[in-house]
Amino acid sequence: MTTPAKTSDAADAAEAAGPKHAGADGRPEPSGPARALRAITGELRRMPYLLLLPGIAWLIFFFLVPLYFQAKMSVSSGTLDKGFDLTWTWSTFSAAFEDYDEHFLRSLYYAGAATILCLVLAYPLAYTIAFRAGRWRSLLLVLVVAPFFTSFLVRTLAWKTILSDNGTVVGFLNTLHITDVTATLGLTEGDRVLATPLAVVTGLTYNFLPFMILPLYASLERIDPRLHEAARDLYASPASTFRRVTLPLSMPGVVAGTLLTFIPASGDYINAQLLGTTRETMIGNVIQSEYLRVRDYPTAAAMSFVLMAVILVIVTVYIRRAGTEDLV
Amino acid sequence: MSKQGRDAGRVELTGLSKRFGGFTAVRPTDLTIPEGSFFALLGASGCGKTTTLRMIAGLEAPSTGRVLIGGQDVTGLPPHKRPVNTVFQSYALFPHLSVADNVAFGLRRKGRKDVAQPVKEMLELVELGHLGGRKPAQLSGGQQQRVAVARALINHPQVLLLDEPLGALDLKLRRQMQLELKRIQTEVGITFVHVTHDQEEAMTMADTIAVMNGGVIEQLGSPTELYESPKTAFVANFLGQSNMLPAAVLGRQGDDLALDVHGVRMTLPASRAVPGSSGSSRIVMGIRPEKITLGKAEPDDAHRNMLRGIVSEASFIGVSTEYRVRIAEGSELVVFSQNRDDERPRVGDEVVLHWNPRHGFGLDAGQDLDAGTGEDAL
Amino acid sequence: MNSRDNRSGSPSDFGPEIDAALETMSPAVRAAAIRSMTTGRGAALRNAMSRRSILRGSAMAGLAVAGGSLLAACSDDDDKKDSADDGGSGGAGQVVFSNWPLYIDVAEDDENKHPTLDAFTKETGIKVKYTEDINDNNEFYAKIQPQLASGDDTKRDLIVLTDWMASRLVRLQYVQKMDPANVPNAVKNLDPRFKGNTWDAKREYAYPWTQLSTLIAYNSKATEGYAPESVDDLLTNPKLKGKVALLTEMRDTVGMVLLSMGKKTESFTDDDFNAALAKIQKAVDSKQIRRFTGNDYVQELASGDIAACLAWSGDLIQLQADNPEVQFVIPKHGYATGTDELLIPTKAANKANAEKLIDYYYRPEVAAQLTLSINYVSPVVGVQPELLRMDPAIASNQLVMPSPETAAKANTFRALSEAEETKYEEAFAKVIGV
Repeated sequence: MTTPAKTSDAADAAEAAGPKHAGADGRPEPSGPARALRAITGELRRMPYLLLLPGIAWLIFFFLVPLYFQAKMSVSSGTLDKGFDLTWTWSTFSAAFEDYDEHFLRSLYYAGAATILCLVLAYPLAYTIAFRAGRWRSLLLVLVVAPFFTSFLVRTLAWKTILSDNGTVVGFLNTLHITDVTATLGLTEGDRVLATPLAVVTGLTYNFLPFMILPLYASLERIDPRLHEAARDLYASPASTFRRVTLPLSMPGVVAGTLLTFIPASGDYINAQLLGTTRETMIGNVIQSEYLRVRDYPTAAAMSFVLMAVILVIVTVYIRRAGTEDLV
Repeated sequence: MSKQGRDAGRVELTGLSKRFGGFTAVRPTDLTIPEGSFFALLGASGCGKTTTLRMIAGLEAPSTGRVLIGGQDVTGLPPHKRPVNTVFQSYALFPHLSVADNVAFGLRRKGRKDVAQPVKEMLELVELGHLGGRKPAQLSGGQQQRVAVARALINHPQVLLLDEPLGALDLKLRRQMQLELKRIQTEVGITFVHVTHDQEEAMTMADTIAVMNGGVIEQLGSPTELYESPKTAFVANFLGQSNMLPAAVLGRQGDDLALDVHGVRMTLPASRAVPGSSGSSRIVMGIRPEKITLGKAEPDDAHRNMLRGIVSEASFIGVSTEYRVRIAEGSELVVFSQNRDDERPRVGDEVVLHWNPRHGFGLDAGQDLDAGTGEDAL
Repeated sequence: MNSRDNRSGSPSDFGPEIDAALETMSPAVRAAAIRSMTTGRGAALRNAMSRRSILRGSAMAGLAVAGGSLLAACSDDDDKKDSADDGGSGGAGQVVFSNWPLYIDVAEDDENKHPTLDAFTKETGIKVKYTEDINDNNEFYAKIQPQLASGDDTKRDLIVLTDWMASRLVRLQYVQKMDPANVPNAVKNLDPRFKGNTWDAKREYAYPWTQLSTLIAYNSKATEGYAPESVDDLLTNPKLKGKVALLTEMRDTVGMVLLSMGKKTESFTDDDFNAALAKIQKAVDSKQIRRFTGNDYVQELASGDIAACLAWSGDLIQLQADNPEVQFVIPKHGYATGTDELLIPTKAANKANAEKLIDYYYRPEVAAQLTLSINYVSPVVGVQPELLRMDPAIASNQLVMPSPETAAKANTFRALSEAEETKYEEAFAKVIGV
């Protein structure tokens, strides 16, 4: 019966001890041991910065340095044979916009559509895994990442079989006349799904789905289940509990998931290359073609920068909005 | 809370039980908590007290039995349709909402638009009027606790359920909040059902305490009643401390039982022995440590129960000294003695222990005399 | 150039992907695949799945970049293993040989062993450091160009690049002239078809490793028995509407269209090129063309989603083994071919050894062994009798051993100046939507 008192005694003791430790740092003329202590604490203070070093080095060598060369290349001119010289040619940027605005817009459209689809598919899944899966939770999480055990290429190629014109999926969609609807909307072409915008968006959705599920799961899993009970207790129906408590608290996961999906999806070119046609090519395909086909490195570099800038602007606006808007 | 009639805040449990798989958390229980009372469910962790509370709140579906609130059967109702609110352990405040929005949550869900005024009043009641705009994480533990109370009380529930509401606070603050909660309860006058494992807290605040152990209510009564006349070893040990003396019943002398304790004759009022036990040949006599007088000489009053022993331990605690006195091989009594005398017994001294027979209580001999002591009591 | 930097020095091995692909095959297909492996055509199968031919298309090479850097486990160690470790006597030195993945024979029990290389080491004492680090012409060129331009050693003695890229290296004098005395077999046994070309008229700088052909392929089930005869059929026949694929490789697709227009790929003009592009564009606009593909047409042709397409000969043998309904047509106007060429970079440390190795592969029996394993057309005269002895079925297959009439229809794409190349690639890129 006396234990509660004891624990709080211990807490008091710790509290009392706390300031004493802190006080050791501020003393003016340290004696021998105190100086040693100070040396050690100084060492400890520097520790976090030392731990940052590998990360900073990584960023410098694999992000900043390439970025610098990329930037330099984007305002250079020349040919691969004769080499590229820095000439401060900015026309590459305007060309990137003027010639490929359609590809930019298409990339953002496909990536946006895939992100929304991912969110719609991932939320219930992440919710179920976080709150309802019980002992199946670990297994389900493994299944979510299981596709990563095969390569991106093979996974995407698999969709050619899944969405084959004569396959069961498309046959089913045709029977239900769903393809008629999607064809009217310009998402599919005749009776086929493969080599249409829908196929590309489907591929993107599939390939980036885990990037949506995992952050969503992480944020949902962190929500104290008692908050749900508290909401129910305070007259919130299950739907209202979700809207007022679960959803706002999972917003960090929603934001992280949409970014992790949207950013790579808008730069992706494999899905468009394998599942699309000439009418579905995305900006990633153009950049890749500029590098490897046309060998116009400056234009390719400029387009990479434009893509980066566009995504940066979108992401900044998005985060600002998601961060400041009143979530209730 | 008189708008729904005189007994709107009465809680009745009939045959209520809960099983989780093979584990029985709460055995079938009947209990009536009167309107307007401050009722405590006291017990060690895992005794079923929280489960009982959750069944009243609707957060747990009972395996059998019914829950009635204000005479209305709410057994089948989901939590958001019950006229009760809960103050959760560690509060469960919504971290994404401001204090004011937390408090307004229930009213908004009920469709109230003009919440500013009631929220302000409620925050005033819990003395947090100036902190409405903060987020819960910016408050101290005690402040969070008050927000949790305000968030529940603003809905004017017929019953307020409190699940270990003070468990996360330090001792000083807990004392303060105990008085605070008691004040609020007196002010609003609604039924409080308070779950706690802290007997001191229960005794300070509650009008009525139900002591739970192993899924059943062992004893129900006012704090004084429970303390002075425990009916089981568990209650005797869990509320305060008790000395347990196994005794043989020698016979009846008028209103008293004649007992043989370690070869010494003693008496106990028959009315202070649990029903049934007075008829058997063996009994356990309990005596609280502070009821025992410790001296060098025998008492003048020959009616007092008396034992001789040797002091084996003496711990000075300030207001009193806690002695352990060996009275027979392997048998010790604990005695709390106020430090009034200049000359206090020391370890090794031979002493006389005596007490008024009316202060003793008789328990059934067939139980674990250590129930409710030690680690499991938490 | 992020993507390039990621790639450099890490030749990706698509091994795990092949395995994964095998896993996803139906039992019957897998059985066929395993059967073909045991008769020494495993390389061809793996080619068909993802290797050599997938990487001919520059678009697909990008996928290899992504696949390599993102996901595929790189097994540098395996690839870089000195194939002739145990046979080397040390004194004769070594030769460093860079080639495309799965473009050489492998031992049946160990795919890291290459019997022809081992035999070479045993015979000459020269160790061969064999590395499969070429996945794309442009990409590999970008990798070695800085050394070549500054006159440094590329640390490679022998490399294999496609003819149009080889022509560039010759033009820029990034490769060494070979001494005919050191390559007597090559001089003697080079098939006359390959003797003269526009960029190395006297065959002083390069010798072909293999010949690659672009043909028309169709799925007879998907065309309901109809057999397209020409590129025009692909581009205009309404029976094939929406079910035709062309290749993302400019030379192959435009080359085939030029031929169908009666033009010569060895000598076409800008106007011819533009006319061919316009013809393709028209087919794209009318939605006759479903897609432009790298080697990924293989899957869709097998499933019938693509009814007819331009296809690489190297893929077809395996494709036919798995899918009897897949047929190929050699158009009467001729077909586009190219060669992969053996080159010795300037400053190569072991030029003489490299020449010895080239000469070795121009012995008919060695060339036949190579052909049997990789199923590409050999440039070596005298291979046919050897092949007939080893495997008559392969020896009579038009895709591997073209008859003189077939061989006569082969056309190579003329060498392009850098300016032309950029111009044409740019225009072609617009047609294929990038």
